Amino acid sequence: MRRSVLALGASIVMIAGACTSGSTPAPSTGGTTSAAPGGSAEASGASAAPSADLSAITGTAKLSGWQSSDAENKALQDTVTAFQAAYPNVKVDYKVITGDYPTVMATNFASKNVPDLFYVDASFGQPWADQGFLEPLDDYFTKYGFDTSAFFPGYLAPFKGSDGKTYGLPKDGNTIGMAYNTAEVQTAPTSLADLVTAATALKGKDGLKAPICLNPGLDRGLAFIYAQGGSIVSDDGKTNQVDTPQTKAAVQWYLDLFKNGIGMTASDMGDDWCGTSLGKKHAAIAFEGGWLDPAMSSTYPNVKYAWGQIPTGSSGSPVTISYTAAYSIGADSKDKDQAWVLLQFLAGKDGMTKWTSGGVALPSRTDVPTPTGKDILVAQAQFAKPGSGFMKGYGDVQKAFQDAFTKEIQDKTYNADSVIAATKTAVDAALAS
Amino acid sequence: MTIASARDRRVSTGIGQRSEALAAYAFIAIPMLLFLVLNIGSILYALFISVFQWNIRSGAGAFIGIANYQNVFKDPIFIRAIQNSVYYAIVWVPLTMAVGLFLAVLVNQKLRGRTFFRAAFYFPAIASSAAVTVLWIFLAQPDGLFNGIRGALGLNPIFQLFGFAPNQNWIGDSHTALNSVILLNAWTTSGTFMLFYLASLQTIPGEVYEAAAIDGAGSWQMFWRITFPLLKPGHYFVATVAVIGALQLFDQARIAGGTTGDPANALMSVVLYLYNLAFFKFDFDRAAAVGLILFAIILTLTLIQRRLFGSAPSW
Repeated sequence: MRRSVLALGASIVMIAGACTSGSTPAPSTGGTTSAAPGGSAEASGASAAPSADLSAITGTAKLSGWQSSDAENKALQDTVTAFQAAYPNVKVDYKVITGDYPTVMATNFASKNVPDLFYVDASFGQPWADQGFLEPLDDYFTKYGFDTSAFFPGYLAPFKGSDGKTYGLPKDGNTIGMAYNTAEVQTAPTSLADLVTAATALKGKDGLKAPICLNPGLDRGLAFIYAQGGSIVSDDGKTNQVDTPQTKAAVQWYLDLFKNGIGMTASDMGDDWCGTSLGKKHAAIAFEGGWLDPAMSSTYPNVKYAWGQIPTGSSGSPVTISYTAAYSIGADSKDKDQAWVLLQFLAGKDGMTKWTSGGVALPSRTDVPTPTGKDILVAQAQFAKPGSGFMKGYGDVQKAFQDAFTKEIQDKTYNADSVIAATKTAVDAALAS
Repeated sequence: MTIASARDRRVSTGIGQRSEALAAYAFIAIPMLLFLVLNIGSILYALFISVFQWNIRSGAGAFIGIANYQNVFKDPIFIRAIQNSVYYAIVWVPLTMAVGLFLAVLVNQKLRGRTFFRAAFYFPAIASSAAVTVLWIFLAQPDGLFNGIRGALGLNPIFQLFGFAPNQNWIGDSHTALNSVILLNAWTTSGTFMLFYLASLQTIPGEVYEAAAIDGAGSWQMFWRITFPLLKPGHYFVATVAVIGALQLFDQARIAGGTTGDPANALMSVVLYLYNLAFFKFDFDRAAAVGLILFAIILTLTLIQRRLFGSAPSW
């Protein structure tokens, strides 16, 4: 009998231990909020009359995001240090989220245990806003007189929810430009016709597996669709424009680059991405963003390359696509006001100047100085359109395009019709949802 | 007096047995409770989620009945995921079982260094699947070791007969990606199946082989007439574990093909599809429906296997 009591006791202790180990309440960050009207807002980026005093807000703001390099970590730590100097009443508790970011955040949203302020990739802006995970910021703009007009429009657009409210402020941004090996290409092609001519001249050169490294998807292909007057949806996001003659011609032009041996995917060159292809001199031209620079300087310092704008196509206008991520406040954040104090600094002029001076990111604001050597990529932000997050269900559209496009390349049929048909179906489904 | 002590002993023994039984139940209570909560409870909860519009933050919304199940079957990517998983199971399970059985029979012989070979064959199974997959991707890329070796051995003309270029992108090409992952997993898992078969081989009485030897049976006959049929319980166990594992393909597909099952859905498995629905689209109700469909498929196949292999042979 004693044994059974002992065993039952052991069972209860183990089960209780298992059940309670994850349920210890997290220590409260506390913090008091007393936003007295009539105070001053963070001056940078604020043009409207400030109506509340940020310095009266005290407490702690929990900040989280992904981290891709030590340099990025240092740049952020330096920016947070600058924030602490400007706003000593709000402490920052910064924790990097390692692993699969959306998966980790999903568990955080489910448990309503979210950081107060966190990174949101543009592709997740709308879905997370629509799911109710993010706090709308419009009331903060009004209350604290924060002006969003200083942001490049293409960077701000993905964080507008279906209800028209803003759910995040872009922490930085990148445009897709043309990186070319200056030993192979002396002058940057400025039109798509020049690009094809220059690339054709490079065909078969020693060491080059293809003149251009290309992605078989809209994550780069969309820039060329825009350049030739095509589109995926209308500007108001309501009409499918995949099957217009311009879009179809642009997709066929992109397929023909593969067909004629001018372009090849990084995967088919045996590389993980086009930066590696450029670095290993498997390709002479690649279409990438500012993230290419640290990769090249650290891994392929001897490869000389330069940046050019995306060549102009039949649309006649300069165009490219941009990528960004935002700082957003969690809808279930316990310290939203503290999060706002931190957010308005990080996305403000001073905070972003500090952040982008670290050399790992480009500014998403027009009033922040352009980092050295990034002139072209920053200048393109004036006319860049969002490369993701501009329509609901764009992830499915991208996948449909890429699957059909990849099949055309691998089957060596190079016909745009099936790509257009598959993409049109996906866009229709996305618009219907 | 004698009768009374015997009764006392019986009573005392009865109390002891009851005490032992209670202790046993108490110990069983832990895994049973965990099983009920984490397995049965999860299945029931998934069933509940799947019939509602579900938001992970606010919980159940409108009741939608079987709409999620219907919608899933209308999605061509889900159909492709089912096709891929079934193809994977049909090719990978027999292949890996055959290799595992071959290795088990090999290391069951009285060979020099057989302990080393047992460990060596099992080694890929204990290596991290992520690390092994990355290594495989490296070996199978266009200028990787595999293409290099076949080129050096002059085998390219033979491969070209089957349409494979000298710089074939084995994992990046939708025509070869899934078969490449099948080969990878056959390599990594055959060591585990070898161990299962090795354990089964120990249960076959040596007298049966002695009798067969006296009757003049050769090694080949002994294998097909004795070893293979008497391994029926082993086949059932290995096949069941293999089919369940095959239909739950995830990590290698996720690493080699990304979250979108690239290239062109060639590596889209049912579990990867479910994962995308849940964690990238936050469509947890539809993901729960997919999980239950997969559960139903696995349960059905397991019952069929039990019918085919379930009864142990008598000798």
